[in-house]
Amino acid sequence: MGIISSFLLAAAIGVLSFGYRTKREVALGLALGILGASVILAALDFCTFASDAESTEGVMGVGLAGAFAWMFGSGTKAILRKQEAAGLGSGEIRTGTFRLGWYWPWLLLLPTLVILVFFLYLPAYRTFTLSTKLTRLGAPRVGERCLSNFSELLVPSPAVVVALPLASIGLMWGIGLWHNRAEPGSFAHGFSGAIRPFGIVIFLFAIYYIFEDVDGGYRQIYFNTVIVSSAIVVVSMVAGLGLAYLTYGYVRGIMVYRTLLIWPYAISPPVAGILFFMMFNATGGIFAAVADNWFGFDFPDYARNATLARITIVLASVWKLLGYNLLFFLAGLQTVPREQIDAAAIDGANSFQRFRKVIMPALGPIAFFLLITNLTYSFFDIYGTIDFLTKGAPAGATSVAIYEIIRVGVDNGDLGRGAAQSVVLFLAVIALTAWQFKQSEGRISYGSA
Amino acid sequence: MLAAACGSDDSGSSSETTAAASETTAAASETTAASDDSAASDDSAATEAIDIQMWIAFSDDARLNFTKDRAAEFNAKQPGYNVVVTSFDSYNTVFEQAQLAIDDGNPPEIIHFFEAATQEALDATDSNGDPIFKSVTEAVAGRTEILGEPVVLDDVVSAATKYYTIDGSLYSMPWNTSSTVMFSNMDILNAAGITEPPTTWQGIEEACAAILALADAPDNCITWPNHGWWFEQAMGQAGQDLANNDNGRSGRATEVFLNSEPAIEYIQWWSDLEDSGDYVYTGTQRDWAGTAAAFSAQNVAMLMYSSSDVTIITEDGAANGFEVKTSYMPYDGDRPYVGNLIGGATLWMANGLTPEEEDGALAFMNFFSNPDNAALWHQVTGYIPITNAATDLLEVEGWFEESPNSAVASAQLNDAADTPASTGALLGNFVAIRDVVTIAIEDILVNNVDVKTRMDSAQAEAQQQLDDYNELYG
Repeated sequence: MGIISSFLLAAAIGVLSFGYRTKREVALGLALGILGASVILAALDFCTFASDAESTEGVMGVGLAGAFAWMFGSGTKAILRKQEAAGLGSGEIRTGTFRLGWYWPWLLLLPTLVILVFFLYLPAYRTFTLSTKLTRLGAPRVGERCLSNFSELLVPSPAVVVALPLASIGLMWGIGLWHNRAEPGSFAHGFSGAIRPFGIVIFLFAIYYIFEDVDGGYRQIYFNTVIVSSAIVVVSMVAGLGLAYLTYGYVRGIMVYRTLLIWPYAISPPVAGILFFMMFNATGGIFAAVADNWFGFDFPDYARNATLARITIVLASVWKLLGYNLLFFLAGLQTVPREQIDAAAIDGANSFQRFRKVIMPALGPIAFFLLITNLTYSFFDIYGTIDFLTKGAPAGATSVAIYEIIRVGVDNGDLGRGAAQSVVLFLAVIALTAWQFKQSEGRISYGSA
Repeated sequence: MLAAACGSDDSGSSSETTAAASETTAAASETTAASDDSAASDDSAATEAIDIQMWIAFSDDARLNFTKDRAAEFNAKQPGYNVVVTSFDSYNTVFEQAQLAIDDGNPPEIIHFFEAATQEALDATDSNGDPIFKSVTEAVAGRTEILGEPVVLDDVVSAATKYYTIDGSLYSMPWNTSSTVMFSNMDILNAAGITEPPTTWQGIEEACAAILALADAPDNCITWPNHGWWFEQAMGQAGQDLANNDNGRSGRATEVFLNSEPAIEYIQWWSDLEDSGDYVYTGTQRDWAGTAAAFSAQNVAMLMYSSSDVTIITEDGAANGFEVKTSYMPYDGDRPYVGNLIGGATLWMANGLTPEEEDGALAFMNFFSNPDNAALWHQVTGYIPITNAATDLLEVEGWFEESPNSAVASAQLNDAADTPASTGALLGNFVAIRDVVTIAIEDILVNNVDVKTRMDSAQAEAQQQLDDYNELYG
């Protein structure tokens, strides 16, 4: 049943992603889709459809078959298109050969390839294979786990796991369609445009409900990660831009100031954790002593309050990122042509309008770069800060994805589950980055003529 | 490493950096240890001294220097050997690094490892499937001295022997061994009209009522770190096994009992004590430093802590101008008392050493815990004197009259009944299961969730951990 539906889905997706204009295209699409599905299902030894597999695993198997069919179909299509374009010889980029022999470019690429293979691709491949196993360092045996390391992160109902994300994506897509079809200027156009940005919130909520809710389930980890990461990114970028706008051009001794601002970035995340621990700690911290001795009130204890603990983590991370963001925004602001701003001023645009309509668009590329680096920081580098500041406390309220991966995989030595969680984080970051690129497509001007 | 493997450039670089950083620190401390010792053993270099690598999980000055000093003494005494001490930041790091080193074919001879992971150490194998550790009793093979060092293995005190005996003999050489004890700020207790530290839960509640009624009362009455060890101690006191097969002593444990009636009752008492404001939770798991700081700052009147720091806490109290009295860990007065158990770590010997290396390692371990050294170790820290001879020596010296606090942990362990519950569990994946208990208790303390419901789900989670472990090793 599962195998048949996987291959049917894979064949359909193969054709849809590759193309269906000619019979040859349809046939190739079918073949590619089925090949993609076969590769992943064979790699998993068809375990997702075994009699003892959970129904969630079966659904994941079908999903993987579809995903690989799409990758094979659209990947091949992209390659063929490139070759077609190269064959047509658009004139801008000409292909050529090395006079010293066809192997010469490969030889030059070898050092890079070796590093990539041994330090990136092989470890990544190992993580994927580990994630389907139960294993520990020094164990005489290895247990096969199929996809249960993943399915146990989710609610036990496959219907919920499938329906919620699909429904939310459908909703987002529908709103987008509505917006595009509605007449510009109409109420429908304005309304759908206004609620469009909330599509991502609905999607995030849908994902929230597919994660297991019992004690120690992944739902809390997901919640913490989304809250803490988005707070870090939003606060550090908004504050960075705001400060940069207030200071650029008018500060005496800007060089010294800028150098001072970049310092927190040079401090490692664990040290940031220790610094904030010493400031905010409720029993021996600096702020607690000041509050107690000078103002006579008890400084609240972040270690016992989930919200305060998250805020403290966010503050420590924002403090570290702020100087970095400020520096980039300052550099970006200097590239905005003075004449454009002056022209806008002459046209009667007030300060806010000048900022919104002239400066913001020019900062697009830098903002996008900072968004990606800040997201990466808040997903991965935050471990050290959390470990020194709260250790995931209180009751797991500050345990984000990367912290949980290390707790499970390293501290508890459960390599399979740790690997599975790192695959989940990997997929989340891929999806988020792809979404960012798609969102910014065409909206960010890199200033070329 | 896991994150590095997940494919994104940035994750790779970040975790590689941390891994590299920790390796650098390990390497750095190795270099210093090695240079210390090479200086000490320059004269013996001609005879090609055999290196004995000792990896320990202590990085604080007092304990690390104690170990290095003993190594230097041993190297001076035994010119054929050169003991090199390398320090790591945790037991887990030592174990992981040792496993990797064993697979590389260059294992450290002596490895310091903690009690909760005893089963894991026994079960661990190298990539060829051979056990990575060898029983020290087997290696001693009945000898009474090795390289002139008298063997003290047979003289280890009974609490430690009971815990670490597997299949009838000691597999590893006990070293730092402690129990949970209570420290009372007698100045505050006396002010509240209490002359002796309370011995039961009910006594704590009464004492706290009196203490918090004082005009200059401390913020809270009592604290202790949230660490799974307390739960295990309370189960020992109540005579409740943590696992089946006599706590894993008569056969491999296959079931855990985290939601037993005494377990619920203990955590309920703890949670109620927190709700009433008598107990203060520092908000961080395993917060040894934070709880000790609260006690020395007189924010609490009583502290439950490991006996490992009796010396330091007593001296700290004196320095801050108050008298510290150590007493047994209080138990439930409504239930017959069975006994407290040990905590701490032992020294394991790697498998597959040459006979010379093995003798060197055994000689050093026995020298390391000879009566003089074991007594000194106890005096420096508060860990119990590990051999009977060391206890006798301290008694003759009058040490216990001089510092009565130091006698409490040993006495508490000697008073314990000889049952599986008060011996402590031998359990696979115990470290992770401890973590499950610690997290559940934190959830109960912080979020006030129902104790029984929360411990039921902790039980399910822990059982899963044990099942997984037994699937791999059982």
